[in-house]
Parts: sequence; C-alpha cells; structure tokens
Amino acid sequence: MSLTAFKRALWVYHLNTGSCNGCDIEILAVLTPRYDAERFGIKLVGSPRHADVLLVTGPVVKQMVARTKRIYEQTPDPKLVMAVGNCGIEGDVFHESYSLAGPIDQIIPVDVYVPGCPPRPEAIIHGVAMAWVKLEKAAKQEVA
Amino acid sequence: MAVEEKKKATYTIPVGPIHPALKEPIRLALTVDGEEIVDTDIFAGQVHRGIEWLGMNRNNPIQTIYAAERICGICNICHPSAFIMAVEHAAGITPPPRAEYIRAITAEMERIHSHLLWAGVAAHEIGFDTIFYLAWRVREEVMDLIEYVTGNRVTKAMFQIGGVRRDITEEQFPRIRQSLDYYRSMFGQLKRVFLDDKTIQMRTRNVGILKKEDALKLLTVGPSGRASGVPKDVRQDQPYAAYADLDVKAITPDVLTGTVVGDVYDRIIVRLLEVKQSIEIIEQCMEKMPPGPLLAQPKTAVLLKTLTKAEGEGIGRAEAPRGEVVHYVRMEAGRETLSTWKVRAPTYVNLMCVPTILKGAQIADVPIAFASLDPCMSCTNRVVVTDRAVGRKSVVDYERLHQLSLEKTKELQ
Amino acid sequence: MEKLTPQAIIDSFVTELGDGFFGGSVHECEVAVKKNKFRSLWIEVKKGAFRHAVEHICRLQEYPHLAIISSSDLGAEVELTYHFTIYYGEHLQELSLGLRVKLPKNDLTIPTITDLIPGAVFTERETQEMMGVKVVGIPDNRRLFLPPDFPEGVYPWRKDEKGPPDDMLRVLPGREPKKWQ
Repeated sequence: MSLTAFKRALWVYHLNTGSCNGCDIEILAVLTPRYDAERFGIKLVGSPRHADVLLVTGPVVKQMVARTKRIYEQTPDPKLVMAVGNCGIEGDVFHESYSLAGPIDQIIPVDVYVPGCPPRPEAIIHGVAMAWVKLEKAAKQEVA
Repeated sequence: MAVEEKKKATYTIPVGPIHPALKEPIRLALTVDGEEIVDTDIFAGQVHRGIEWLGMNRNNPIQTIYAAERICGICNICHPSAFIMAVEHAAGITPPPRAEYIRAITAEMERIHSHLLWAGVAAHEIGFDTIFYLAWRVREEVMDLIEYVTGNRVTKAMFQIGGVRRDITEEQFPRIRQSLDYYRSMFGQLKRVFLDDKTIQMRTRNVGILKKEDALKLLTVGPSGRASGVPKDVRQDQPYAAYADLDVKAITPDVLTGTVVGDVYDRIIVRLLEVKQSIEIIEQCMEKMPPGPLLAQPKTAVLLKTLTKAEGEGIGRAEAPRGEVVHYVRMEAGRETLSTWKVRAPTYVNLMCVPTILKGAQIADVPIAFASLDPCMSCTNRVVVTDRAVGRKSVVDYERLHQLSLEKTKELQ
Repeated sequence: MEKLTPQAIIDSFVTELGDGFFGGSVHECEVAVKKNKFRSLWIEVKKGAFRHAVEHICRLQEYPHLAIISSSDLGAEVELTYHFTIYYGEHLQELSLGLRVKLPKNDLTIPTITDLIPGAVFTERETQEMMGVKVVGIPDNRRLFLPPDFPEGVYPWRKDEKGPPDDMLRVLPGREPKKWQ
C-alpha cells in the first residue's frame, strides 16, 4: 500500500443529513489527541470546495436532499464519498419513516461504507485510509 | 428614525452551532442594524425523522427503546430512561431497587461526558483550540469508563423495561473509583483554565443575558435556566431512580460568585460545578447500592405479553445534561404498538429563548451565545432564524462567522 | 399561594369550574429504597371551561411550567393533554398535572394560551401541523417540523385516513411496510 500521488494532506468535509450526532462526535473524537488523525495528514475543512473526501452521516431526511446534492456538486474532482454509520447505509432504526428520502447511495454515489452505530474512531480512520488508497488508484488511472 | 433612513442589511446566515464537524442542520437569519442584532426568527425541521410515528405504528415497546436511544447520540441515557419510566407507570411494573441505582450511575457518567464535550466546544467557539483539545482529552477517561461498564462508547443500551440489562458488580468498583479520583484531581485545573482566564471572562461576561423572569415565561430548563436563577432540577424536585434517596440540590451560579447575572459565564460555572456534583453522586450511589435482582421480569417473551395486555397512561421525567426530558405514553389493551407517544426534549423549549438572548448582541457573539445553550438539534429539529430588515440580502457562511468570533478575541487580548 | 395536597388541588378545580369539571384522579407509585412517592394528577375538563382551568393553574403556581401538549386519536374524538408541572424548586415537592380536553373530530379547535404562557407557541404549532387541530389566536401560524412541501391534509399522528399514506413510507427495497392493527 504505497501512496504516491497524494503528497499533501487529505482534506475532509463533514455533512450531516439528519443524524443523531453519535457518528458525528466519534468523527470529532478522531481529531483529538487520543486518536490524532492530523498526524496522518487528515484535516477537517469548513467548505466543500476545498475537500477531497465527503464524510456523510445520517439518513437523508427529505428536507436535506437538495442540500446534499448541491454540496456533492460543489466538491471538485477527484472526490470520494464515505457513508459513516448505519443510518446512511440502510436506515438503521428509521427505515420505514415517512420523512426519509432513502439511504445515501440513492441520492449520491458512495465509495466507502463504514458500518456501526456509531462506528468506533479506529474504524473511521481505517475507512479514511481505504478511501485514500482508492483515490490514489483513481488518480493514477487518470494520469495513465 | 424612519425605516428608510437606516441602511439595514438582511443577512441570511447558515450557522452550524458548533465546530464544522458538528454542523447540525440549522440556519439563523438575523436582522441586523449595523453590528447589532435586532430580531431573530426560528424555523425547524431538518432532523425530523418521524420517530414518534415509528413508535406508534411499527415497533413494539421493547423495540422502541432502541429507537428512543437514537434520538440523540449525546444525551443517550436520558431518553430511554424517561421512556421506560413512562411505560412502567402505564403498565404497573416496578423495577427493583438495585436497577434504580445502576440507572442513576450510568446517567451521571453521561452527564460528565456531555458537559466536558460542551466545554471543549465552547472554548473552540471563542478561539482557544488548545482548551478544546484539553477538554476532549480529559473526556476520553470517562469514555473509557463507560465502555468498561456498559460495553460501548456511545449507544449504551443498558436499559430494559422493568430494570437494567447489565450489572455493576463489586469487582468493578475499584476501576470506577480510579476514574473518579482522576477527575477530582483534574477539576482544579479545569476550573482555573475556564473560570480564571481574563480573556474568557471578557468574551463571556454580560454576553447573551437571559433574565430570570424571561427564563420562567419562556419555559427554559436545564443549566441554561439554572444559570438565570431558576432552581429547577428534576433530580431535586420529583423523585426518580436513585435520586429519591439522595439529596441533590439544583446548582445556581451564586454558589460560586454570589450573584446571578444569567450570561454565558454563569452557564460555564453551572456546568463545571455539575461535573463535580456528578462525581459525588456516583460515589454515594456506589456506597449505598442494595443487593437484589436486576429485572422485574427476566423473560422477554413474558414481558412482551404483559405489555400487550397493559392499559393505561404514564409520564416519565428525567434530567438530561441539557435539561428536563419528558415522555408521555399511552397503551391500549390488545395493541402491540403504543397508542400515543410524545417526546419533549429540552432543546425544544430552550430554543424559544434564542431571540431574547441574541437581542442587542454583536454578530461576532452569535457563535458563543448560541452554543452556550448547548443546543442538540437532533433532539429538537432545526431552527432557522430569519431576519426582517429590508434591503440587501447577503449570505454569510459559517466560516465568516467563526472568523469574526476569533477576531474579536484577538482584539481583546 | 401555599402548597396544597393533590386531593385539595382536585377539590379546588371542582369549586372553580363547577360544571366544566369532568373528572380527576391521583396516581402514585413508590421509588427506590426509601419508597418516596412519585405523584401525578390527571384532570379532565370540558372544552368550554378550558381557559378558565389554565388561569386557575396560573393562580396555583406563578409561572407554571408547560412541558408539552400531547394528542391522541381516539376514533371519533381527539384528546389533547396539556402537561404542566407545579411546585418546582424544592426537594421532593413537585407535582405533574395533566389537563385533558376532548375535541370532536368535526370541530377541532381550541383557544390559545400564549398570552398566559408565552413559551407555549412551539408546542401549539406542532399540534397544529401533526394532528390537524386548529389553535385559535395563535401568534405564529407556520409549520414547525414538517417541510414546506409536505402535502396538506396529511397529519402524521392520526390513525384514520388522514395519516401518512403507504407510498410516503420509505421502505427498503424488497420489503413490505409492517402493518399493526
């Protein structure tokens, strides 16, 4: 697993489409000194235009559909989408509600799934590393 | 001054109340006059997942416990706690005393974790990232303790109708006491860092003031209401779980400073002192824990049958880290789902005092004033604040708002 | 006013409202080792006496705390319960008071109480949009939690034909919506 194309840090933008915050606080815990993702070069940014990876949590509530699509389009290529948490993958406990517009991959294409309710911080770092490798391969294929 | 003479601008500000990572969907539209805020409007609805409908139409009561747990990931014990109390009142089940003590211990651990989380976030809003990392590093100790006792960091799943699912045995007590000692030793440092720092005092004193009468009229609960002088705390007022045997007092800021102002600084005081109070409560519960069974009805199938035949209504109230949580449940005989289920989270009522708090404040104070209420949007839903001024419409995003807040801190230093 | 016992509170309602009073009960249960009592009162009034009852509660406690308004669909009627708490602030003194009003489905209106308790506006808005009850005199008539493009006439908490229809439920592919009776 040798990374050659990404010589700079991986910038991540977090989007909450109606989640309960469990996954969100575990994502934030990844930045704290205990797990310290910044030593790997992973950084959270405040705008999707600077991001390489979109971290999406939550079952997509109907009111958030337009915003999710807009943010996906604002992120420049090459980009990757990670669905964190069970809600985004298939709805978890909310799967039959009247106010949901579906799991995330019905709205935008997803590349990496991190299951768990919520997933542990170690699992999220593992997911971002897998996303990194995948993005590497995509960048190499573009160049070739 | 006539309206046409003033040059008002309408800012539509999409504000995520906390760090970019915790961007709960919320939008504030503020009416500004120069630098001062005149009015705020509130909309909600972006986290609405139809949970009450699920409880009434799709799940039986035991499955609803897990749906209630995922209403909010931070206040994760209080929603099932209040829900189970309501079902127990409706069905006439009494949990054994040992289960009540275990419920109280896990609820206090959650309170410590939630208040430290908030402390870090508030420090980040002012611009002290170092304190943010310090507070979250200190919080990891209680997360380890929660994992040791319940098995998971966030969604704990300790409760069952009629008792608790897991025991806290005598062999686990030394490990719990070790964590409590760590927090006792850290408390002095936290207090010094948060309360004795000159810049924090300048940024938070007399900012976001909520007077006692407004707090009573607008039904504010929790540490935000206590910081304004309303001594309302469910653990003190109406007995539930093990608090009925203990003597818990509602903490108001005059315990430390002698006066009640109702600003952001007072809310910091109340939350830090509550962390200390939680440590004492866990210690007392461990000493007084009675022996006995854990569940009133150990067999789940029999329990489900009892609940299907039960008829009645019940109300359950618990004290979450953010305020008072109320669940109302009505059950009908022969119906497997609940007949009526209503959830009232504390942020639901705390949001109504946002216009009062932000009136007359500067735009740079919006992040810290709003975050001092400790809003949990998933418990409530979103709030959109709109502005009324006539004129230009400009969009100010969260980055700009956070920048303004940091610049103000730099000016003060 | 000095604090009254639960039964004395029910009696005071009977004297105040006379005809408008429908029924009242006290529910108690014991908690933990010392067996202190968790008490709650339930009072039902007729719709005409509703505002009078709320004013009486404001006399029993200066600034009563309104927790929430819950609504139940009972077939031909809708029952609203206003959950108040009074006597807070001291150890083991608080009482939960539930004030019930039944409304027939052909006339779902109720007067507002935001002039007595300004903090009631959120919960009245939610009752309006979720159950279809019209609150007369409410200062703010907009929807609170449902999106603006949610269809009119669909009320999620109703159990009759006005609840969410099957095609609005987001069911996972390959499954049927679960139907309890």
